[in-house]
Amino acid sequence: MEAAVSSYVQDLAESISYRIDGDIRLWNFPSKLFLSAARYRIFSWGPSIPGWVAYIDGEGKIITSSPGAASIAAIWQEALPIGSAVRVRDKEGNEYTMAICPVAQGRGYVVAAVSWNQLLGGLVQVGRLWPVLIVLMSTGSFWAIRLLWRRLISPLKGLAAEIDDLRVGKDIPHTVDPHAVKEIESVHNALTRFARAAAERDNLRRYYVRDIVRVQETERLEMSREIHDGPLQDITALLQHLHMCLEEGEDTRERIMKTERLAKTVVRELRGLCDELAPPWVDLGVSDAMTELAERLSQNYDIRVSAEIDKSFDLGSEQTLSLLRIFQEAVSNAVRHGGAAEVHAHMFTEGAYIVLEIQDNGRGFDSGVDHEVLRLEGHRGLANMTERMSLIGGSLEVYSTAGEGTCIRCILGRETLPETAAPKPENL
Amino acid sequence: MSSTPIRIVLADDHPLTRSGIAEFLRREKTLELLGEAEDGLRAWQLIQDLRPDVALLDIRMPGLDGVIVAQKVKDAGLPTATIMLTSYDAQQYVMASLRAGARGFVLKTVTPKELTSAIATVARGGLYLDPEVASVMGEREFDPEQLSAREREVLVLAAKGLSSKEVAGKLFISERTVQTHLASIYDKLGSKNKTEALLLALKYGVVTLEELLED
Repeated sequence: MEAAVSSYVQDLAESISYRIDGDIRLWNFPSKLFLSAARYRIFSWGPSIPGWVAYIDGEGKIITSSPGAASIAAIWQEALPIGSAVRVRDKEGNEYTMAICPVAQGRGYVVAAVSWNQLLGGLVQVGRLWPVLIVLMSTGSFWAIRLLWRRLISPLKGLAAEIDDLRVGKDIPHTVDPHAVKEIESVHNALTRFARAAAERDNLRRYYVRDIVRVQETERLEMSREIHDGPLQDITALLQHLHMCLEEGEDTRERIMKTERLAKTVVRELRGLCDELAPPWVDLGVSDAMTELAERLSQNYDIRVSAEIDKSFDLGSEQTLSLLRIFQEAVSNAVRHGGAAEVHAHMFTEGAYIVLEIQDNGRGFDSGVDHEVLRLEGHRGLANMTERMSLIGGSLEVYSTAGEGTCIRCILGRETLPETAAPKPENL
Repeated sequence: MSSTPIRIVLADDHPLTRSGIAEFLRREKTLELLGEAEDGLRAWQLIQDLRPDVALLDIRMPGLDGVIVAQKVKDAGLPTATIMLTSYDAQQYVMASLRAGARGFVLKTVTPKELTSAIATVARGGLYLDPEVASVMGEREFDPEQLSAREREVLVLAAKGLSSKEVAGKLFISERTVQTHLASIYDKLGSKNKTEALLLALKYGVVTLEELLED
């Protein structure tokens, strides 16, 4: 830098003095006349870097100069070398690099100077600010990265890890990092909601499966007990009678008659068991099937049970079976819980719906009772009925007031019924 | 009737049951087994071809069920009297069979003697219902109070399978009146429900099977 500045001022001074020298020698004019010519515009414009040039006479008086050369007096010293650039300092401590070239054998001099203060001023000042800026910037970046980490990256990583480890249906996510940005919080909230719903659904399914298994086991137990106490005992007795017949020989006839009666009993019991497991009269169509069931229930519970269903109702066998089961359950509930003496079922259409209404005259109950609570207590009756209806695409409504009996409405959309309904012989 | 045996067709998809009954029918002098069918279609074919006096039909059979075969026999106006021979004891099957024109309803646990009697009864044009399924049929004699003409009408329509509403519509009376009539009918016949009332009415001759089959 220094060398470049030195050679710049030296070249500047030399070239101007050379030009003036030439002009004086060629024209022998007083230099004032030509100094304003275009080739000396440097004196009016100044050099291209901060500094100045001046043409002075032998006594040191300025003949012409570029702006700013007024300070020449301040830096003028004795014993300045002629022809080579030097670095000088004025009384105020400003530094210059300066070169002096003689014109016309010492009758005048060209002085060119570059001010270091002006040249480097901005740069130097910026240079002093630089470390501060760097420190500021590093601190800023540090805080920015720290903020980014705490509020975005770290919560995001936490969230990702949580999603990786989340066992759907079992875990609920922990609370969100309090520093996390809002968006992550809402993603986290969504995840929590999803996890909760999954867990609830799994719980429900577990309960449901448990209930089903429980019901199945209970039914198997009951069936096994019934077969054991009924047909099994009877057939054992039958066998004993047969053995006696073989051994006796005397009043065999009477023995065989007894055996025959026993065998008939077995058949009746097994028939009853079959009816209970899957009533064959479902294929008679909903009207006859419900009537049959009503009469059987009436006999079993010794109360009045009736069913009034038009022959024109033509439901599928699946729908019929479901309605039969619901009717059965409703009558059982009416007797066991409501102490009803009469249950009546009738079917009618209501707009696009077919409605089976089962009304009893029992004690009724408070409709506000939570089905879920009943279910947990092992009373699956109402829940079962509701599920049966939803399985065939219908719905179930229960109306009851304590002391005023219960009305159960099974509602089936007509469009949910199969095109070709249950096999039902015509004109029956 | 005693000189010529009663000609019979037997239909049952269960081979053991069928052979047991067939064996008995063959042994009986007054009966003649013309043919056996293992499903409803074959039974209908046999009845058309052989024109038996009596057809013993199982209810649950592949192809056509026994009730449908009975209905076809009735619709075709064949001289064959049909008897349902079944293990179903549901009274609605009795009703469905009667409406389809069957003359008898007998459970498979029936004794040979009872079966002979049932066949003889229907062959004569009578009605035979197994006392075990139509339990009221076996009860001791009971002299029912006379039904009014209106009550008889209501009972016949109800027996044809019409609901109270439909009966009310046909007779131009209110549904409530129909129910009052029915209650009175139950009372007079000593029945607990409609089906029983009808069976009893048939038993006591208050209503005839022909009335039931009229359109």
